[in-house]
Amino acid sequence: MDSIKQQEESGIVKNKLQNRVLNKFFNNKLALIGLVVFTFIVLATIFAPLICRYHPGKIDVINALQPPSAKHILGTDKIGRDVFARIVYGGRISILVGLGSALGAALIGVMIGCYAGYKGGWLDKIFMRISEIFMSFPQIILVLLLVSIVGQSLWNLLLIFIVTGWGSVYRLVRSQMLSIREEEYVQALRAFGLNDFIICYKHMLPNALGPIMVNITLSTAMFILQETSLSFLGLGVPLNIPTWGNILNVAQDLSILKENWWIWLPVGILISTFVLSVNFIGDGLRDSTDPTQQG
Amino acid sequence: MLEYITRRTLVLIPMLLIITFLIYAGLELTPGDAVSFMVSPDVLANISPERLEALRESLGLNDPFVIRYFKWLGGVLRGDFGYSLTSGVPISKIVIDRLPATIELSVAALLISTVLGSILGTLSALKKGSMLDHMLTVAGMIGVSIPQFFFGLVAILIFALKLGWLPSGGRMMPGYDSFLDRLPHLVLPAFVLGLTMTAGVMRYARASMLDALNKEFIKTARSKGIPEWRVNFIHGFRVALTPVIVLVGFRLPMLIGGSVIIEQIFQWPGIGKEFVAAVRGQNLPLVMMIALFFVLAVLIASFLVDFFTALLDPRVKLD
Repeated sequence: MDSIKQQEESGIVKNKLQNRVLNKFFNNKLALIGLVVFTFIVLATIFAPLICRYHPGKIDVINALQPPSAKHILGTDKIGRDVFARIVYGGRISILVGLGSALGAALIGVMIGCYAGYKGGWLDKIFMRISEIFMSFPQIILVLLLVSIVGQSLWNLLLIFIVTGWGSVYRLVRSQMLSIREEEYVQALRAFGLNDFIICYKHMLPNALGPIMVNITLSTAMFILQETSLSFLGLGVPLNIPTWGNILNVAQDLSILKENWWIWLPVGILISTFVLSVNFIGDGLRDSTDPTQQG
Repeated sequence: MLEYITRRTLVLIPMLLIITFLIYAGLELTPGDAVSFMVSPDVLANISPERLEALRESLGLNDPFVIRYFKWLGGVLRGDFGYSLTSGVPISKIVIDRLPATIELSVAALLISTVLGSILGTLSALKKGSMLDHMLTVAGMIGVSIPQFFFGLVAILIFALKLGWLPSGGRMMPGYDSFLDRLPHLVLPAFVLGLTMTAGVMRYARASMLDALNKEFIKTARSKGIPEWRVNFIHGFRVALTPVIVLVGFRLPMLIGGSVIIEQIFQWPGIGKEFVAAVRGQNLPLVMMIALFFVLAVLIASFLVDFFTALLDPRVKLD
């Protein structure tokens, strides 16, 4: 007993919660594998110029549709561009879209959800209705509807993903706030006469960070899948920018599907691996931050 | 019960009004003359400017926005969805023509995912913590991580192009008249769509089965000496099944999203494929009306789910 008290005074026990979260995360083998794979792929795309011998846009019609060889590790596509370089550079855009949309949606959802959830009342009711309207559309239908209204571009797609994605974060944060609101320390802060903004953003929000992080991770995976699906349909990022989905776009052609596996199979496997690693990380985060799962 | 249903309906109506209003606002933003999607192009082709103006007046295009909206809404309620910009065919006819294909695919995929998902989920709950349970959990995560279209492409490559067992796409061929004729065309898309939805069902079935197995009446059944398999299947499974059935309704948005992509890959002539074609062709009226149609389907389905849950489970009644 005495030693615990000493530890507490010297500030060791205080760090224990955080350590426990980290320990739990690192003890989860799948989450760890996910983190390693994720880091590896992200680093590869960041240092793309160092690991690619070719520029992703360089056209070389004479060497079109070459199977994998020492010169082109993953062969070349219909107009002779190096498939490996396109995959690595394409990863930059795909990951940017996925991560950027998830962070953007989280930012808006947290900002609104935190305040509206704390204050409640008509403001909360209005945002609740708005998010219900957004969520009554199947996601891909709403995205395609907006694409057909605002037109196709990289930034439009990012914006559309944020517009369609904030609702779920908002609901999550709001529900967290509703339960945190009842805690005694919040009553105390209010009794001190602190500003509402300071109470909800500075003192309440940190207690809801766990689920928000999980949500950001899982929605990154979702947005990457959506970007690739839309680009595959030719309705996502414009075709002249290489992204994982745009590389797969040519596989709609049955002869390429059958004869030139190197153009679409590696990138498809890469997308699946990357999304799987993100999902593993998200699952690991959930297990380690959810207080109901702590043992 | 009645109060719950009434309240639920009262929430549904303003939702519908707002959504249709937004859709109509989108339609009004469409570049070009609104007459072009309100009148059959045959009529429009040979019409004089004075007659056109009279037509505009009679269609109410010179009325204020809100009045035009309510007139349009009245038309939609009577099944008048306007005309497609490119083909000039009434949109309601396009939807009705494409609907059977989409329903056929969706029902098949729902069936596959429900059966597979509840069997695997139940197995994994019964063997909780075992190797099988872990493997199924990881398999489920892999399942939700593979892009649907990529899964479809691999399936086409293996089963249609390499092995040649099944056709790679399409639905109707000349000379087909019965369901059995086109069954081979249905197998691949239905399995691809069904399998991609199985993971979610499996996770849900596992959780609700675990929940059911922890209930007091299961312990009672066990302590009465009823054989283990009977406890699991007769007592546990039946209770766990109710939420799984409810999940069928909640899977509708997923089903619609999935069918848009799967129909495209397998050239399945359903509403999803038509929707993608409309987005590609900048055919906004068609895009809007199909989207509206999908939203209505989702809203009505979730209403029905709430209704049946309230009917089956007395606890949800009044909150």
